[in-house]
This record gives sequence, C-alpha cells and structure tokens, in this order.
Amino acid sequence: MITKVSHVSLFVLDQQKAYDFYVTTLGFKVNTDVTMDNGFRWITVSPPEQPDLEITFLAPLAANMMGYDDETRNAFRILLEKGALGAGVLHTPDCRATYEELKAKGVQFKGEPKEQFYGIEAIISDGVGNWFSMTQPTPQAGAQHP
Amino acid sequence: MPIAPDVYKKIVMAKLYMDENFHESIDLDRISREACLSRYHFHRLFTRIYQRTPHQYLTRKRVEQARQWLADKDLTVSEICNNVGFESIGSFSVLFKKEIGYAPQYYRNQAWLKKQQGLTQPRKFIPHCFIETCLNG
Repeated sequence: MITKVSHVSLFVLDQQKAYDFYVTTLGFKVNTDVTMDNGFRWITVSPPEQPDLEITFLAPLAANMMGYDDETRNAFRILLEKGALGAGVLHTPDCRATYEELKAKGVQFKGEPKEQFYGIEAIISDGVGNWFSMTQPTPQAGAQHP
Repeated sequence: MPIAPDVYKKIVMAKLYMDENFHESIDLDRISREACLSRYHFHRLFTRIYQRTPHQYLTRKRVEQARQWLADKDLTVSEICNNVGFESIGSFSVLFKKEIGYAPQYYRNQAWLKKQQGLTQPRKFIPHCFIETCLNG
C-alpha cells in the first residue's frame, strides 16, 4: 500500500538559481544539500509547512548528468527554456498578499491574481523553467481544484 | 469583507520590514503607524492574512533564523540567541524547543553530525535510483 509521496523531482535550468528562488525567495527549508566527488549535487527542500515532502532539483543540462544522452538533454533544454513545464500548485493562505510580497521581490507572474471557481489564483514562474499555479483555495473547494 | 489593494500593500510592506529587521527590537505600534493603521486594525489584518499574530510571526522568524545559524555558523547558542533578537536565553530555549522540537544545543549537534556525514558519505543521502538514472543512465 502506498500512503504518501515523499520525494518529487523538479527539473531546472540551474540548481543554484533554483535554490535561490525556492529557499531564499519563497522560504522553503533545506533538508539535504550534499555533493558527490563528481560534482553531482543532491539538494532537497520542503515547503515551510510540509516537512515530509522533499523536492529535489535536477539539472539535466549539467555536465555531470551523464545519465541523459544529447537528444534527451536537448529536449529538456527546449522545454525548460520555453518555460513549458507546469510543475504543480502552490498553496497560499492569502494569494493577494503573497503576490504583492513576491512581486516586490522581483518574482515573475503571468498577470494579477484572479478569482476562479476553486479559489484565488496567480500564475508564478520559478525562473528556472517551471511555472506553478499559486492558489488560495476557497473553503471546501479542495475536491474541485484543478 | 475584502481587503483594499492599498491596505494589502501596507501589510505586506510591514511584514517585509519585519523580515529584514527581526533581529532588532520591533515596535509594533510604530509599524502600525507607518502602515497608517491603528494597532488594532494592523493586528487584525496581519493575523487574517498570515494566520499568525505579528508577535507570533516575529517569534517564528527569529527561531527559524536561529535554526539556520545553529546549523551553519560558528557562534555560541547565547550569541545566536542575541543576534536573532531574543533578550533571554531561557525564553529562547523554550520557544526553540516548542517550534523545532529539540533544545538548541541538541539541534546543533544533530545538524553538525548530518553535515559531517554529508561531506564524507554523500551517497547515503541520495536514493539509489537517482544515482542510477542521473549519473549512469
């Protein structure tokens, strides 16, 4: 029986820039940050109030990612540079306040927060190839969330 | 009742001020005045937006910074206590344990052990499937 998701991978253009965005700007917490002899860096971070979900940043374009052939790397490059990967939904208790705060910190959004049937939502870019829905769910809208 | 956009900005600016100056003595009356709100309204709106009172938010911010510095900086627990804005090591220890679950020195020891292990045995922290997929193909 599977009961939880413990780790998810986020493919990023640059691990350090991802670290800066998720840890320094968003306030995610670092669980693990180790580097192997060949330079492969394993970083996992967790959302501030979700310590048992670890998100790891994988940089498929890095030279030490030997597991990917050139064709695969090129596919990653195209998707990440286009920002074509929608990575998920970030929960916020107040979308408009978080929008104002992150905008003041220079984070990119696709427009201002909008009311949707499932809550108040703004589309946020992590600057390293992924976008998220940042949503303040309406009470009891969880089952209808996209 | 919805909060007006300009009021949102004032509360967010006050929160960012607290983020940058948490290590100093923060006068919530002054922050309220600078936000052009009464202390009562500032407290009510801040708590509504952040789901914590300004005081609770500030305490958590200080404890979180202490947690990071205990793991990363070569300062004594007392120095970290003072540097993050607590006036008493006793209240710091109690609040740290309440928020983090461990006493500051115990947390530091565990973080140090983990860091040492990460330096000497990084593979122990990486699920094998990731090594196989990312490095070996």
